[in-house]
Amino acid sequence: MGRRRRRRRVDPADAARALPEAIAALSQMLPAGPSPETFRRAKFDRPEAAPALWRLLFRVLSPQLADGASASFSLEAQVRSVKLALRTQGYPRRALAQLPDDGSQGGRELLLALAWLLARGPLPERLLTQNRVQLGDEMPVCECEALASPGPPAPSVEADGCVDIRHLQWLMGKLRFRWRNLMASQQEQCALLGKIHSYTRGCHSDRSLGHLSVTETELLRDPEGGRQLLRRLERENARLQAALQWRCRELVFWRWMDTVLGACPPEASQPTFLPRIPTPGAGELETLVRELQALQGELREAVEARRAAWEAGVRGRGPEWSAARTALREAVGRDLAALRRVCERGGGRSLAQLHGPHRLVRTEAGAPGGPGLRAPEVIEALRSREAHLEVVLRQLQGQCGQELARLVGAPPGPVWILPPGR
Amino acid sequence: MATAYVLLAGSSRRLVAELRDALDSCAERQRQLERSLRVCRRLLRAWEPAETLAPELTPGPETNEEAPSAACIPSPQDLKELELLTQALEKAVRVRKGISKAGEGDKAPSLKSGSIATSPATRASAPPSTSRRAGSRALETKPPRGIRQTRVPVKDLPERRLLSVGDQACMGQGAGATKPESGLRNEQIVLSAASQAPEAFTLKDKGILLQLPEAFRKAASWNSRPAGWSNHVAFWFVGCACVHPSLWAQLSSTQTSDSVDAVTTAKMQFLQKMQTTSGWPGSRLSATEVEAEVRHLQKACLLLRLRMGEELTADPKDWMQEYRCLLTLEELQAIMGQCLRRLRELCTAVVEQQLGPWPEGRFPRASLPCGGGADPIWSPQLLLYSSTQELQTLAALRLRVAMLHQQIHLEKVLMAELLPLVSKQEPLGPPWLALCRAVHSLLCEGGQHFLTILREDKPAD
Repeated sequence: MGRRRRRRRVDPADAARALPEAIAALSQMLPAGPSPETFRRAKFDRPEAAPALWRLLFRVLSPQLADGASASFSLEAQVRSVKLALRTQGYPRRALAQLPDDGSQGGRELLLALAWLLARGPLPERLLTQNRVQLGDEMPVCECEALASPGPPAPSVEADGCVDIRHLQWLMGKLRFRWRNLMASQQEQCALLGKIHSYTRGCHSDRSLGHLSVTETELLRDPEGGRQLLRRLERENARLQAALQWRCRELVFWRWMDTVLGACPPEASQPTFLPRIPTPGAGELETLVRELQALQGELREAVEARRAAWEAGVRGRGPEWSAARTALREAVGRDLAALRRVCERGGGRSLAQLHGPHRLVRTEAGAPGGPGLRAPEVIEALRSREAHLEVVLRQLQGQCGQELARLVGAPPGPVWILPPGR
Repeated sequence: MATAYVLLAGSSRRLVAELRDALDSCAERQRQLERSLRVCRRLLRAWEPAETLAPELTPGPETNEEAPSAACIPSPQDLKELELLTQALEKAVRVRKGISKAGEGDKAPSLKSGSIATSPATRASAPPSTSRRAGSRALETKPPRGIRQTRVPVKDLPERRLLSVGDQACMGQGAGATKPESGLRNEQIVLSAASQAPEAFTLKDKGILLQLPEAFRKAASWNSRPAGWSNHVAFWFVGCACVHPSLWAQLSSTQTSDSVDAVTTAKMQFLQKMQTTSGWPGSRLSATEVEAEVRHLQKACLLLRLRMGEELTADPKDWMQEYRCLLTLEELQAIMGQCLRRLRELCTAVVEQQLGPWPEGRFPRASLPCGGGADPIWSPQLLLYSSTQELQTLAALRLRVAMLHQQIHLEKVLMAELLPLVSKQEPLGPPWLALCRAVHSLLCEGGQHFLTILREDKPAD
């Protein structure tokens, strides 16, 4: 506590040193961070700072790329990708979009863009998390990955021609086959993990873990791989330390950035020229509109029918009824408050504590065990999730069945014989 | 019924793109799993001192045995299909065995029998441990055989594979006496490995003696400890060498102090200043924001539908419950109305801002941070499991939930694209019937079953 207070008291000599230190921490914690000198040159808009900063922004904006993979992109491709990504995220400065694509210019603009990204969210932490050295056998217990399904844009080589519906059926069959394969591999992997965990019981120096993970065991089997892992771990530790230092020193950086921004003349407003920004496919928005409208229609129908039935039978209830009615109304309000919050703000989570990566630890049956999530809890949560989703899918299929029957049933047409077992 | 029906170009592109997406994400998961499986299998085989030579590169007798047959090579496509087929068969067998063996193995994990280079005699004398070991060894030696299989002429494959399936299944009862071929071959590999390098051992025998190197232990514990521990460690003991929290824990800790507030303010001011000096009109929705909002509304829609389903299927016992159900539905309707309003606002905003559709027809989704973006947990937590079976159940459920999410998404897309086709088409011709049949199968049966259509008037085709 005392140390922190001392740091905040600014004396001139400290201040002179503080900025270079902050920038050094910044460049060390970023992936492929350029030298602190580059940042200084960028402030003065020197062209030699530009290529390094374009590359840095590319790395920062495409975190899913593995180390070294960005080298396979030409500088020009990286520049274009950075521009597009920044526009997609709503970056406000037009000057950046007007920089040449060859990456030869734009030191100051790039510095501003980097600062914009840093100011908007926990960028360093996110970058560090995404490239984390994974030591344990981990299992995410949430559905975030299932919902996000990050995929690269579909290749445009897709044939423009028409497609036979049998092709769709074939693709669906292939998909089912892949899931089955996946299921089988997953089961095998669990069996093997279970073995490795139990064979190495008690080997871990950390008592709460007990056994080794696959990565740790592999490190012992393959010493060269182990040395590489250690080096990666040490690099990550250095970056983590830098990130912690950055946290203590970043205020100076923001004051400095304020002067950098002040050095730029304000951009002239040009409301007539608006470049197209990519948004979710129009199909997706339309689908959502249709979906919500359909749901609203169903709800209205259900409510109207029930309200009418209720009104018909409600006569003749005594005065105690109005008190009960108020109580019920309040109870329903409480009951749906959480759902309302989730729908309005999107802050709520259905599986509140079940997020993030979890390191698998095998415990003796019946042993008390330390802190951590228990598998049965997760299994239970997933079971209820599964049941809910199955209901939704069946509802959708039923809806399709009705719609099809309506379309087909109108003329005195053929007889439909449904497949057995349904 | 064989009449091919051709889809419209526009909708087909979207459908095919969505399906390909789904296939790709499956394939990516599979690749990751295969990678990890390779490592696991290698770890469970005998460890040899010559580490650079991976065991699967030296299966010795087996490659010689297959060399002559390599002369007749089937076409690459045949091989690919074959590989898929064999993989599927292989996996089916493995899963079955894995499940039955896993339960067995858990009950007596401490029962470790002898060294790996046991002679057939000792195996015969100890049938219970033999069966278990045979099972695990069958798993361990899979990859070399997989390599061999691709070189085998096409015709031989299924029989061989199925034969080995049978072999493994009867190994447990047969003890050592009627030793099947594949079992013997496995034994040879292990024995030869053992004779070449006397120090070879398996994880099962010596795993418990393993120790992580000191340098690694230090780096790892500085890097991260299980979160359950570090959370209890007070952060003001930072100076004390004995209980320092790990780096990840420090980074994850949410500090609240004056300096943090000052930094937050400085960042806000910077963003504002940037916005006001920018040449583009302010307060525009970015594509990422639109994307996030769409995701959120999709989720809200799912939740509302689930809740509505629950209410509609509920069977009210008395008028109180009946009234409560009615009130709930009305409340859901109100929430629904708000969602729709938000969506309409979003649509107008998108139109007003002249946000064009993504040129490729597909938006590159940023990988959303886990936890809905709120406060990501950086240091991994622990997930405790007590048996292999439990782990398998957990993993299977995770996949199942992911698969259902995908199925629901695809169902919606298919619905939106295929139902209009049925209504537009001139009814009752053979192409229309074929279309109906295909659409019914895709939409109502998950593509797994087909309905039969009977026409009484005259033959359809």
